Amino acid sequence: MASGAAAASSAVRRDSRYALLFLLPTLVLVVGFVAYPVVYSSVLSFYEWNGTATPVFVGLDNFLRLAGDGFFWAALARNLAVAASAIVLQVLLALVIAYCLVRIVGRIGRLFLFLYLVPVIVSEICIGLLWRFIYNPYFGLLNAALKAVGLQSLATGWLGQSSTAFAAVVAVMSFTYLGLYVLLFVAAVRNVPDSIYEAAALDGAGHFRSLFSMTIPMVWDSVRANVMLCIIGSLKTFSLVFVLTNGGPNHASEVVSTYLYKIGFNAFEMGYAATIGFAQMFLTAIGAWIVFRGLRSSKAGRGD
Amino acid sequence: MRLRAVALGIAASVSMSFSALAGELTFWHAYSGQQDKVDFINYALEEFGKAHPDIKLNVVAAEQSSYKTKLNTAMASGNPPDVFYTLPGGFLGAFVAGNQMYSLDDALAKDGWGESFLSSALAQTTMGGHTYAVPIDIDSSVFWYNKKLFAEKGWTAPATYDQLLELCEKIKADGLVPFALGNKDSWPATFWFQYLEMRLKGSGIVSGFVAGNADATLGSEGTEAFKRIADLSAKGYFPVGFNGMSDQEANMLFLNGQAAMMLNGTWQIGASADASDDFELGFFPFPTVAEGKGDQSDILGGVAAAFGIAEKTTNKEDAVTLLRFLTSPAVMTKYVELRKTMVTVKGATTEAAAGPVLYGISNDLMGKAANLDPFYDTAMPPKGTDTYYTSLQGVLDGSVAPADAAKRLEEALKAK
Repeated sequence: MASGAAAASSAVRRDSRYALLFLLPTLVLVVGFVAYPVVYSSVLSFYEWNGTATPVFVGLDNFLRLAGDGFFWAALARNLAVAASAIVLQVLLALVIAYCLVRIVGRIGRLFLFLYLVPVIVSEICIGLLWRFIYNPYFGLLNAALKAVGLQSLATGWLGQSSTAFAAVVAVMSFTYLGLYVLLFVAAVRNVPDSIYEAAALDGAGHFRSLFSMTIPMVWDSVRANVMLCIIGSLKTFSLVFVLTNGGPNHASEVVSTYLYKIGFNAFEMGYAATIGFAQMFLTAIGAWIVFRGLRSSKAGRGD
Repeated sequence: MRLRAVALGIAASVSMSFSALAGELTFWHAYSGQQDKVDFINYALEEFGKAHPDIKLNVVAAEQSSYKTKLNTAMASGNPPDVFYTLPGGFLGAFVAGNQMYSLDDALAKDGWGESFLSSALAQTTMGGHTYAVPIDIDSSVFWYNKKLFAEKGWTAPATYDQLLELCEKIKADGLVPFALGNKDSWPATFWFQYLEMRLKGSGIVSGFVAGNADATLGSEGTEAFKRIADLSAKGYFPVGFNGMSDQEANMLFLNGQAAMMLNGTWQIGASADASDDFELGFFPFPTVAEGKGDQSDILGGVAAAFGIAEKTTNKEDAVTLLRFLTSPAVMTKYVELRKTMVTVKGATTEAAAGPVLYGISNDLMGKAANLDPFYDTAMPPKGTDTYYTSLQGVLDGSVAPADAAKRLEEALKAK
């Protein structure tokens, strides 16, 4: 017995040694390209550095500046608004669409799924450029469509007006990322056994009832994962804002990442940019954790 | 972002590792992406190879937009290229402050190399009495107008600011946009502020701040300039949604005849090259402002690009040979011919190479200008540029008061 256990544990040790060996290349890359930059940027956040001269240690100055930087907090508030809109317009809407594709539409659902996925496959930069054409006040499709249906009074310079720029960007984000969540939810909804729906149908449940009372609790784990994914994505969103408005006009659509980019690569204030990046990472982690905890307890509540 | 900086740094150090060999130079330039730039650099490097077969160049090409980050990363990691493209003003100033640029004073003093440049251009790459880069081309900004449209409607190019405003009313009454402007990237509107400041107060304001003059100020003219811009915008002289449109989109309006005029850089000549037959490009100087204190003949114009040598370079002799070759009259005339841009080498902007419009600007406007005032946004320290850009966007859309914008800009210019 004793020798058997020893042999087993040495086999485990050997296996874990092999596992480590296979993980090594990834580990090197993670340390070199993730861990090291994160540590380096957190160190840099205590310095003032223009990218060329010797960094100057400034203690907590960058963090104090961050605390009083209205542009940063306004940008963070916009990230939170993006997250809130994404939970409704991306995750919730995707769940409803996934339910319809699986339970109602049937076979042609695959075609729709493909169409929803097109924006996910195309690069965000291309999507952003396409939408710039759609939004163009003079040649764009959107204003032309409004004119065609007699709503020319609504036609405006969507991306160029402080009042509409941010909403216009959020709309593009919703269109772009919706497909990803549809895909993930379709897989989850398909896994719900038919027998449950049949039982519910016998009890007289309609689609509305079976979506909210059965599908959502049954796929709750994917709801949690997708909400989390969408919050993290929203807090670090960059490319669409960058291409569509570059955060303008006058910061009207600025999010944290575009602000960071401007501070770092236009103003060359690398130390302060690192501080912003560090704060963004920290706040995103905390935000995701709170929401994840919140969703777990609400599931327990349902279960009772 | 962080990841990208590190990746660039590694790429930079890998490409740098051969630089120590004698007779070899690493050469970085930003003439990539656009065909005219590629044609020029191919021509120049090929000719250089023929003239100096003993010097081997390791060429790294980048696009203008990514080049600044790339060069900054290389400089920061202590692996600068030997000879490289740089921008004048604050960008070059940061390298000079970090003692990373080789002073060209001795080389320029030899064989009249220094005298071959326009002194106003060389002044823009000279800091603290030392020249750290050789200027290549000059961009300047003037008013462009659609000659055919003007002839058809019976409009004439205005000479004074009041005439310009009157003309705008006429253009608007005809259902057209007076000025094309695509200000998404914020630099296109800067010409408006700078010209108004130059006409109202004079040239050299921002250069004064950069040089650290204690009495440098935008003055009440700064507020007045912003106020006039807000006024133009409120009157609807710019296109709808201009703050969200790119310069290319604004150009579509201008070239299609939907907008009549445009205040833009000399690159407008290239941008108008393939317009339809209904379009003919004309230019006039920024109108005079009656009560202005500045010299009314001044032109907004600055060195667009320059080439410098890193202090670390071991092979400085060959590096200077390369710079002298690039700025030789023959290469520079070819530059004018291919890129339709004025160059800093005297006599290289010939009428045959430049074409009538560019030669006219070079001869009639630049030749008669009392001062050339370099572009504020590249002359000021990079930290101030974002404040300048966003304040201007805000003034144009009415969300920032002119006086506040002037105050914000003045503070940004004074900050070190």
